[in-house]
Amino acid sequence: MNFELTEEQNLIRDMVRSFAEAEVAPTADERDENELFDRELMFSRLAELGLTGIVFPEEYGGAGADYISYAIAVEELSRVCASTGVTLSAHLSLGSNPIYLFGSEEQKKTFLTPLAQGETMGAFGLTEPSAGSDAGGTKTYGVRDGDDWIINGSKVFITNGGEADTYVIFARTDKDAQKHHGISAFIVEKGTPGFTFGKKEKKMGIRSSPTLELVFENCRIPGFNLLGEEGQGFKVAMKTLDGGRIGIASQALGIAQGALDATRAYVKEREQFNRPLTAFQGVQFQLADMATQVEAARFMVYNAAYRASSGLAYSQESAMAKLFASETAMKVTTQAVQLHGGYGYTREFPVERMMRDAKITEIYEGTSEIQRVVIGAALAR
Amino acid sequence: MKILVCIKQVPDMESKFKIDGDGLWYERDELAWRMNEYDEYGVEQAVQLKEQTGGDLTVLSIGPERVKETMKKALAMGCDRGVHISDDLCHLRDSFEIGSMIAEFAKDKGFDMIFTGMQSQDRGSAQVGVIVAELLEMEGITTIVGFDYHQHRITVRRELEGGVKAVVEAPLPAVVTCQLGLNIPRYPTLPNIMKAKKKEMVTVDGDELNRVGSLQQPGAMSVPVKQGGGLYLDGQVEDIAERLLAIIKEKTSVLA
Repeated sequence: MNFELTEEQNLIRDMVRSFAEAEVAPTADERDENELFDRELMFSRLAELGLTGIVFPEEYGGAGADYISYAIAVEELSRVCASTGVTLSAHLSLGSNPIYLFGSEEQKKTFLTPLAQGETMGAFGLTEPSAGSDAGGTKTYGVRDGDDWIINGSKVFITNGGEADTYVIFARTDKDAQKHHGISAFIVEKGTPGFTFGKKEKKMGIRSSPTLELVFENCRIPGFNLLGEEGQGFKVAMKTLDGGRIGIASQALGIAQGALDATRAYVKEREQFNRPLTAFQGVQFQLADMATQVEAARFMVYNAAYRASSGLAYSQESAMAKLFASETAMKVTTQAVQLHGGYGYTREFPVERMMRDAKITEIYEGTSEIQRVVIGAALAR
Repeated sequence: MKILVCIKQVPDMESKFKIDGDGLWYERDELAWRMNEYDEYGVEQAVQLKEQTGGDLTVLSIGPERVKETMKKALAMGCDRGVHISDDLCHLRDSFEIGSMIAEFAKDKGFDMIFTGMQSQDRGSAQVGVIVAELLEMEGITTIVGFDYHQHRITVRRELEGGVKAVVEAPLPAVVTCQLGLNIPRYPTLPNIMKAKKKEMVTVDGDELNRVGSLQQPGAMSVPVKQGGGLYLDGQVEDIAERLLAIIKEKTSVLA
């Protein structure tokens, strides 16, 4: 058992951290305030650095690195800007990975290569107004018409929505099948007639990441775009979310680390009662708790990532990592605001944004409750 | 075109430094290490020259085993191979000894162009580059802030005292020492980081290259005595303004 990162993983962390601090951090507050998605910075620059296809093989335009490298990249981006972190996570884990896992060779060449190279951006459409945690309740439906499929329905809360070029979406294709069995996955390209975008959500956090509704009105897509086998959609979604949890766990880890770093810097400078805050043992104890939780989350996230890269089962581990890291992010950012006092509640300091950003990690890509369902069901088996 | 870039691994300058047990250098066990900032500009310029000329680029570093990690970054930025001169005691050697080791390695390799940082962030002697140039009887130009190559000649801009710049032309072979701001060092992209691990890394025993020894020996290292804080002016506003103006005139060139 070896807990040390490889030289490559260390280099990747250094590179992403340098980039994140120099280029992403300076505009994070402003993008948050104005709900501004800067595609050039938050996606095209990532593509130039080779981050948009980290884990995919070189033959599909990827970098051929492992999941720990991917986790590190999302962590380091999220340490300064959770919106940029989730842009990469949603693109890679949700939009691109299902095509890698379930796509035919032709589909990989057509869709995955440009995604991995960052020429196109990916997104994932599973959630519906009445089917969130209960993904089997999907109401969007697809009907065969010759070789094509006609899709009708809508998807909500779609990260990268409107900006992404390639969407993996889920629709019920067999109304008579049991609810988990009648769903199929499809690849839909932006610009396809009948595929439009609804309202952009106004959110508490990750405000620089666009979250939109996808609307399908008699949207005709070629049979070639069916991803995996007909009726296999639920499996596609669940396998995709196993990997997605590593991305969101990494995002949560990055937010927590960012809040811890900002707080350490603050409490060293801030003086009360003629002493720096760090001189108070009560403050030191809080820092100790924050740092210990972040470290524990990091090992859980990297372990899940290691298993994903090593071909080991990782569904349990990624659910546990996502559950623990997201709850850690919420606790640590809340404590960070508390240690900043009144200033922490203002937008003068980044911990206010980090606390708002942390909350979503307990909700999307499987709420904390759903993670407990996944973990608990396996334990009860 | 054969190009050499010499880099040094230095501690993260945000580190807390303590003096080591010998009292001759800083404690090295718990530091985070990175590439000397000046050398990053040297690597970038060397990679640009390699891309321009289709040349062959070697990165060299002297130090213990850990310096290889910093060399990997240079390989990921575009160097073709690494030469690690292993030396656990390099922190005790003076600029002449370090320069001599580099020159001893480079003397029969036919390098057309050698890049170094202007100085290191830890020792800061700014001597190694010029010593290498002297020992190899190559042109030596220091503190460059602009670099242009054309038909086996270089035209560089040097930064002189007081903001004055000089333009110097020289034939190759030449050694230049690179100042901050010379270029924008690239990030090593992820695919290039992955490719770097397949690049050649040669280790040479430092003792075999060290024929001269140090001219200087470190005597002792100490933390500077803390000087008094800033100057605090107290009194009436008009009075403070006049005294401040006098200080500015006397101590700075702002109003000159």
